[in-house]
Amino acid sequence: MPDLYVESPLAHRNSPERLSIYLREIKDRGMVDLRGIASDKKFMAAAKKVLGLDLPKTPHSSVSWGDVKALWLSIDQWLILCPRAKAAELAAALTAELGVIHSLAVDVSDMRAVLRLEGEGVREVLLKGSSLDLLSGDYKPGAVRRMHYAEIAALLHVVEDTVFDLYVFRSYADYAWEFLLATAREASKIKLFGKQAGPF
Amino acid sequence: MSNKPYRLLEGGSRIDRSKRVTISFDGRQLPAFAGDTVASAVMANGSKLFGRSFKYHRPRGVVGLGSEEMNALVGVGDGARHEPNLRATQVEVFDGLHAVSQNRWPSLTFDVGALNSRFSRFLPGGFYYKTFMWPQSFWKHVYEPLIRKAAGLGRAPEGRDPDTYEHIHVHCDVLVVGGGLAGLTAAKAACASGLKVMLADENPELGGIADLTAGSIDGACVGDHAKAVAGQLYAAENVHVLNRATVVGHWHHNYLMIFERVADHDPALLAAGTPRHRLWKVRAKQVILATGAIERPITFANNDRPGIMLATAASAMVERYGVSPGVNGIVFTNNDNAYLTALGLKKVGIGVRIVDSRARAEGSLIARAISEGIEVSMGSVVSAVEGSQGVTAARIAAYRRGQGRVITERKIDCDFIAMSGGFNPALHLWCHNAGKIKFDENLQSFRPDRHHDAMQAVGAANGTMDVAATLAEAHAAGVAAAKAANGKAKAVKYKVPEVKEPTRAPLESLWFAPATGKYNEGNKHFVDFQNDVTAADLELAQREGYESVEHTKRYTTFGMATDQGKTSNLNGLGVLAEATGKSIPEIGVTTFRPPYTPFSFGSIAGVLTKNLFLPIRRTPIHQWHLDSGATFEPIGQWRRAYTYTGAGETKHTSINREILSVRQKVGLLDASTLGKIEIKGPDAAEFLDRMYTNTFSTLKAGKCRYGLMMNELGFLTDDGVTVRLAEDHFLMHTTSGGADRIAAWLEEWLQTEWTQYRVFVTPVTEQWAQFAIAGPRARNVLAKLGADFDISHEAFPHMSFKEGKLGGYPVRVFRISFSGEQSYEVATPANMGRGLWNAILEAGQELGIEPYGTEALHVLRAEKGFIVIGDETDGTTTPIDVGLEGLISKKKADFIGKRSLEQSFLKAPNRKQLVGLLTEVPTDVLPDGAYAVRALKDKPPMEMTGQVTSSYHSPTLERSIAMALIENGRARMGETLTFPIDGNKVIRAKIVDPVFYDKEGARQNA
Amino acid sequence: MLLVHCPVCGAEGDETDFHGGGQAHVRRPATHDPVNVSDEAQRDYLFIRHNAKGLHFERWRCDRGCGKWFHAARDTVTMEFKAYYGITELPPRELMEQATGEWAGYFKDKLK
Repeated sequence: MPDLYVESPLAHRNSPERLSIYLREIKDRGMVDLRGIASDKKFMAAAKKVLGLDLPKTPHSSVSWGDVKALWLSIDQWLILCPRAKAAELAAALTAELGVIHSLAVDVSDMRAVLRLEGEGVREVLLKGSSLDLLSGDYKPGAVRRMHYAEIAALLHVVEDTVFDLYVFRSYADYAWEFLLATAREASKIKLFGKQAGPF
Repeated sequence: MSNKPYRLLEGGSRIDRSKRVTISFDGRQLPAFAGDTVASAVMANGSKLFGRSFKYHRPRGVVGLGSEEMNALVGVGDGARHEPNLRATQVEVFDGLHAVSQNRWPSLTFDVGALNSRFSRFLPGGFYYKTFMWPQSFWKHVYEPLIRKAAGLGRAPEGRDPDTYEHIHVHCDVLVVGGGLAGLTAAKAACASGLKVMLADENPELGGIADLTAGSIDGACVGDHAKAVAGQLYAAENVHVLNRATVVGHWHHNYLMIFERVADHDPALLAAGTPRHRLWKVRAKQVILATGAIERPITFANNDRPGIMLATAASAMVERYGVSPGVNGIVFTNNDNAYLTALGLKKVGIGVRIVDSRARAEGSLIARAISEGIEVSMGSVVSAVEGSQGVTAARIAAYRRGQGRVITERKIDCDFIAMSGGFNPALHLWCHNAGKIKFDENLQSFRPDRHHDAMQAVGAANGTMDVAATLAEAHAAGVAAAKAANGKAKAVKYKVPEVKEPTRAPLESLWFAPATGKYNEGNKHFVDFQNDVTAADLELAQREGYESVEHTKRYTTFGMATDQGKTSNLNGLGVLAEATGKSIPEIGVTTFRPPYTPFSFGSIAGVLTKNLFLPIRRTPIHQWHLDSGATFEPIGQWRRAYTYTGAGETKHTSINREILSVRQKVGLLDASTLGKIEIKGPDAAEFLDRMYTNTFSTLKAGKCRYGLMMNELGFLTDDGVTVRLAEDHFLMHTTSGGADRIAAWLEEWLQTEWTQYRVFVTPVTEQWAQFAIAGPRARNVLAKLGADFDISHEAFPHMSFKEGKLGGYPVRVFRISFSGEQSYEVATPANMGRGLWNAILEAGQELGIEPYGTEALHVLRAEKGFIVIGDETDGTTTPIDVGLEGLISKKKADFIGKRSLEQSFLKAPNRKQLVGLLTEVPTDVLPDGAYAVRALKDKPPMEMTGQVTSSYHSPTLERSIAMALIENGRARMGETLTFPIDGNKVIRAKIVDPVFYDKEGARQNA
Repeated sequence: MLLVHCPVCGAEGDETDFHGGGQAHVRRPATHDPVNVSDEAQRDYLFIRHNAKGLHFERWRCDRGCGKWFHAARDTVTMEFKAYYGITELPPRELMEQATGEWAGYFKDKLK
């Protein structure tokens, strides 16, 4: 069997320079879209059995266990993150365990491009394309938010205070990358709400 | 050159005399200092002439001190950086700045357009509604070119904009608009609570006109006090101050946009790649408007001459830039404030006298002026001004309130006039979003009343003119705003400062200074300087019946220039009040709309230009298409390969080659853009039965069925093949353009109508790369790749589905055909798409496989008479119209569109029906959208009987084919239709069956 | 640029994060009795909508958030959102009582 050729959405992009933040593509993440009724105890129990964690019920939150994370997308939808190699089997395991319980687990590892943004000015950079209140307490580590970014739909996950993962649908990956190149330039760096050296 | 009478030897709080710069104005090199504006630099060098007025080309000079300036509009910069219509009072100089005056030819001092002034009798307000009518033949070739040449002020830049711009979104608890005394005080009070406070001011420095305000606060002069507070705000970490930032508009729920001129004043910043402008999109919990008040000119004869400026502007010239407005001048006023200007002028040795329209007034500034020996003429007006390129003399007349004209005048030589007719609160932002205003008799102007959004106005913007009252009011507003934004905010107690300020007598409105003789008609009493609208024009509008103030505005264009009536609004209303006998509040104000001042297109676009103008969607095979010479076709936001044109080929030949390749051998198409939606649940089948016109609950697992979707009006909205994966699990395909729309459509019905259905819908369009392998050798390609499932025709018939591995790649395979040939659509997870694409090409190489694009695809399907949603349908097309009545279930009780389709008019025989067309001349290709007519006439109008929906050259049939929607088409087989094309060409075509090739469908079933 | 709140997930955002879905509480006659839908009932369903000046009731979707539909009571003059409520629910009672014109007629028997 010949080797399979695999390339991520932004495989053709190099790490950019002269940006005010670090920007790179995360290529090795697996993702499973999981639908189910949160109030259905059997559903929640089956999910826990496979994933090892309780699916989060609080909107815009996330839960981790080992190398698996569950991101809340909606009242009946979660995005399960795991190592890429594990995704297909995880989706299959969920489907098998859930059986006749009304649910849907789909391997969507290829559907989105994952961009990692890191650095002090990450929130300000994102604010050039998003009207979320990213400086507020709603965006502490663990927060998840689907959003409108630039002109497209996106998903934001606050990994750490200055580390954000931005998920965009695969076909928009180049557009999102170029938008970040344009808005994260070192020359356009801006600090919001800090001491200013104003004219006196 | 060094002994300039207009640059004072010392003084000028904004300029740095140790930093010399040189600028050019209309080609003349002028020395200036860092901190000057173009206005102060030009005036320092002895010139008062800045431009020519819009209509009459009258010489004009600086009038204002900031963004309200309406005369001194200059163009700055060269080539692609040239920006027209900037206010010289706001353009900060830098070494090497080039500025030019506008609206004059050949030069500012000698302007041919001034001839307009001679004909001003024929060019009153609204003249163009009464002229340029006859003869009609002149409209296009004489009037329009002439008017185009004469219209407009500045000139546009040439070439692509070399600078960058950007947007940024911010949320804050309190936004304070305006950094003068009131704004600074409010911001300071609000920020003490630790909340996020933003302060935006349009000037390079905070303070507003604090430096020009008389009095002291706790022993410090008002200007120094303001500086101190500003310093505290810059240092505070919860405060974000924006300078050179204009809040241009207020929208619902306290959404505001701020236009920041980040780098215009410093070429070094631009060179470093700093964005030139930044547009802030702010959501504020609370807004405090501290936008100040704008001084009113006085309306008197020839009040527009260079050298006539607002009193505060004259003060600013002296105090901030060390520039004298002239040698010997007049302060003409109806209020106490302008006395400050006179005192300031006297202090630096400029000759000045005061003309006050009030019969008597007592205030401490008046007393001071008199005690300092300034001549004060109460009960007097300036009845006329002499001099054209600059003031040379003024005529003063005695005046009693209500006096309609003037009897005796005396002439005074002077070279400038500083005028003040009062102050108008700048309430534009208050009104952008239906804020209510009320007329204030003391101010003789409007001030804010009530607002339904969380907004307060303080200081002069609220009609509060005293320092002490402003401080108290602004502090209270800041505290209230903080508390409203966050209930836990701690209130800061107000420590009443010791304020010393002059006492003021009330102003008396003066809407029209009477004059002698013809001047009294008001033809030279300018109200709107920028659009050359005079008092006479406003009165003319009334006489002609344009009584509503909104009509008057449009008819005369007063208030419609780039200054949007900042200095003309109230003065115009005053004239109208006297002309009609109504009060100003009865006349009302015209609607205020954003933006407050003009802002750049660049800032509106931000980074969304060039490659970011539109979000472009690319498939996993995009780079391969690019490398293979594909041209692309936009399908929504997607770019799909249209055709692959090789060396020595034209698009036409490559398309034909691709079509024949599919018909004779095998082709490969990137179909990744088609929508794919997983639908699962116990009620999935019943749900699909509701959504489609045909039945899906009867579909067996592993089988595919083509489905039609109508909307509730009975019109086709999408189509595609859906496969049943399992009893409760389907995979739906939609059109490329419909993917997101249909997924949302499905959710809408599940969530809002049939909420009892247990169905989950998950779009997976982007999870899969998907290709069509089509042609008589398609199955051979699969064999060559190697499949781990049975690919024989018996095991894998047309319209069925299998999963497994092809060439090692995990795949879902749908045996479906849009080309009419034996065809397999193969899907693999997107990251492996390129790998599988390469593998297919390699496996198919000896079979003659070639890629084909969307145009070939469209011709192939047209040869088979397959419809394309959006070509054969136009949003008013039913399934019956396109001959697919057989796909409308007769058994299902309810599905979307069913009820509407039962209406008789949607089944009427004279509706347009899908047919094929064969042109009489086989090489004639009907233009897409060409209309067939009932009877050919020499020229339109002709009655239409239908139109072409798709039209191509078919290399398979070696002639043209077309599909069309023709009235009662199915009953007219064999009839010849006439299509008039552009010019005199006529194409005739015969109505035929829309399936041109392999009607039995044998080839796809092979 | 309206500021909209989703009552399902708590997301707050510019109106561009949401999708406005037109008037609320429109009855689809075919859902209840597909066989007996008069022309008038179908016409009302397809085309007739309330044109409220003031208190109005609408459907919205949290498009860029949780993807769920919800209802909102909004004043069409001041643009103020008065209440948000579930997609299968009726408005809060006090708002049904405040409704005027066509809406008052619609809520009349629901208030009994």
